[in-house]
Amino acid sequence: MYITAASTISHQPTFKNAGFSKLIEPLKTDSELISPNFKDYIDAGLLRRMSKILRMSVTAAKDCLQQAGVDQPGAIIVGTGLGCLQDTEKFLNNFLTIEGLLPPTSFIQSTHNTIAGQISLSIGNHGYNMTHTQNTLSFEHALIDAGLLLVEGNDNIIVGAADEYIEILGEIGEKLSANPAINLTSGASFFVVSKDQSGNSIAKIKDVVTVGLVQDINVSIENFLTNNTLEESEIDLVLYSDFVDSGLVSDVVKRFENSSEAINYTNLVGIYPSNSSFALHYAADRIQNNNKIKTVLIINGLNRINLGLTLIQSIEA
Amino acid sequence: MSVRITGIGIVSAIGLNVAENLFSLKNSKSGIGRIQYLDQNGDYLVGEVKSSNQELVSRVGVKSQPISRTSLLGLAAAREAWGENKHSSGLRTGIISATSVGGMDQTEHFYRDFLDHNNPDFQVLKCHDSGNTTERIAAELGISGYINTLSTACSSGANAIMLGARLIEQGRLDRVLVGGTDALTQFTLNGFRSLMIYDDQWCRPFDESRSGLNLGEGAAFLLMENDKSVDFSGNKTLCCLTGWANAADAYHQTASSPDGKGATMAIQNAIQVSGLSALDISYINAHGTGTKNNDLSESVALLNIFGDNCPDFSSTKPFTGHTLAAAGAIEAVFSVLAIQNGIIFPNLNYSEAITETGLVPITEFQSDQPVTSVLSNSFGFGGNNSSLVFSVNNS
Repeated sequence: MYITAASTISHQPTFKNAGFSKLIEPLKTDSELISPNFKDYIDAGLLRRMSKILRMSVTAAKDCLQQAGVDQPGAIIVGTGLGCLQDTEKFLNNFLTIEGLLPPTSFIQSTHNTIAGQISLSIGNHGYNMTHTQNTLSFEHALIDAGLLLVEGNDNIIVGAADEYIEILGEIGEKLSANPAINLTSGASFFVVSKDQSGNSIAKIKDVVTVGLVQDINVSIENFLTNNTLEESEIDLVLYSDFVDSGLVSDVVKRFENSSEAINYTNLVGIYPSNSSFALHYAADRIQNNNKIKTVLIINGLNRINLGLTLIQSIEA
Repeated sequence: MSVRITGIGIVSAIGLNVAENLFSLKNSKSGIGRIQYLDQNGDYLVGEVKSSNQELVSRVGVKSQPISRTSLLGLAAAREAWGENKHSSGLRTGIISATSVGGMDQTEHFYRDFLDHNNPDFQVLKCHDSGNTTERIAAELGISGYINTLSTACSSGANAIMLGARLIEQGRLDRVLVGGTDALTQFTLNGFRSLMIYDDQWCRPFDESRSGLNLGEGAAFLLMENDKSVDFSGNKTLCCLTGWANAADAYHQTASSPDGKGATMAIQNAIQVSGLSALDISYINAHGTGTKNNDLSESVALLNIFGDNCPDFSSTKPFTGHTLAAAGAIEAVFSVLAIQNGIIFPNLNYSEAITETGLVPITEFQSDQPVTSVLSNSFGFGGNNSSLVFSVNNS
């Protein structure tokens, strides 16, 4: 599977900023979403009703199509850990506090598949339309689905992930987390993926695996490398996230220390359940800007019980 | 295409297992009635599972709390579908569930307390996210590895079944539990009320006088296996999933297109994948929610595909209520039962055909029918349309 376009809206200057991976510094705790001019992508009437997650997603998806020069993608596949939180909370508020007739918009837009649905509506796409929501592995599951579709003959697929921060998450995080200093953010990363390599290809996604209720991270990584006939020393860059600084994953990353650069991408983009989609864009951007980086491994350990592994390779000339 | 189905499990308003559901279907016994369990004022008609959370907890034997009603329902159905199957390190086993509300049944209580500053229990939010619903079921069944959740509103359950079949076809899994689960919540009940499509009377799918849906709750799971897995398990094949397709209507966020474009594409493509022709379909388990818009759009799609030769069809939602993300899975189990037993289910509460299309559903229970292939439709918000084809096992 080849990435032919990538677009990210996040708390970093990622949007329409190729080479961002060289520039960005670890995220500060008071950061905010860097919003592009959404009106350039979304009709003003629609935009007014759209929550943050919908604006980010439709814009990033449309940017991808422009980059790839694709009018109609073969399918639209979205991963989201928590879905449309802003509209969900708004409708909770409405029906718990309003007597009588309720405005329906926030209910309509609260379902997880509003994201993929709005992308299909905004471009009039009738293809396969899917939404995966497996908390921290939502994006990896979307990628696996895209891989299946490419084998089935579909092509030029939009695949991406998004999650939005709402204020109550901060309070919930403090109550439920051992570490109150977690940096919760919003983000959306979308891609166009294709079956065959072309002049537009940025990078190749060699393999994606999810391990739900993971038992031994080390064993899972070893199996993944073996299945891809790779040695640890052949990985040039390891991008990882760790469960609220538990150190579980950073211990595992030590095995790559001698040969690879290792970066905790959650420090760059903040915490949201689908932030491994940012890592994929970051990996592709690094590969494009440094011809020494040929093989990148993403180790998604944001949630203690789930492991996502993604292998990205540079395009061979 | 052909993927074996070797196990089924179901919990709905008309029964807590497959046998009870079959009994109710055979006896035209609806499970829809006034609210008994949901904490909601008003005299709404709902298809509740006739068990409190406490009864469900002891029924499925879970110890750790909090757990959502959505997980409890899902676990009950998944356990029945899994049956006595054994784990094996040589088989890659996965689970794909579908849910639209996830742990909302717990979250909405939390949020009321939160607004009232009434000592809200933040711990219940651990089971809010949809993925957690599935992880809880997987953990109880001892399944790890490929654990996934789909959420595409009312077509979610059908999509979980389709994804499972594709993973088996491409050799990514040897067996997979697929299905969906949704608890009844104040959130969804008030949501459909806000859309003005909640019927205060019995829902009347495909009837000219239809004026909305009745919500239900429940869960259903199916076990799918490849040859290697069947060699290990020795399970009998109940029937096969032979066709599947998903298409976007791309017409409106909630309404279906008047020309039934997305629905037509889903049905047509699913039949094509099955290798059958439209004439081979013996029975259609329709989406048939009872809303003005869905039933008209679906009827137009049926006419687009079948013309004057529309097979026997019915909506079983007057039995169960509309169970949202579980609907596609519950109706998949009904489709399996139709093939297994040679039966066709009645479309309750019907009296007069929709003027524009004139299609007449089956209104009486039919037995001794040659049911060889069943088409099951599931259409959701965001124009998400999915169709599945189930066929007798010919191998």
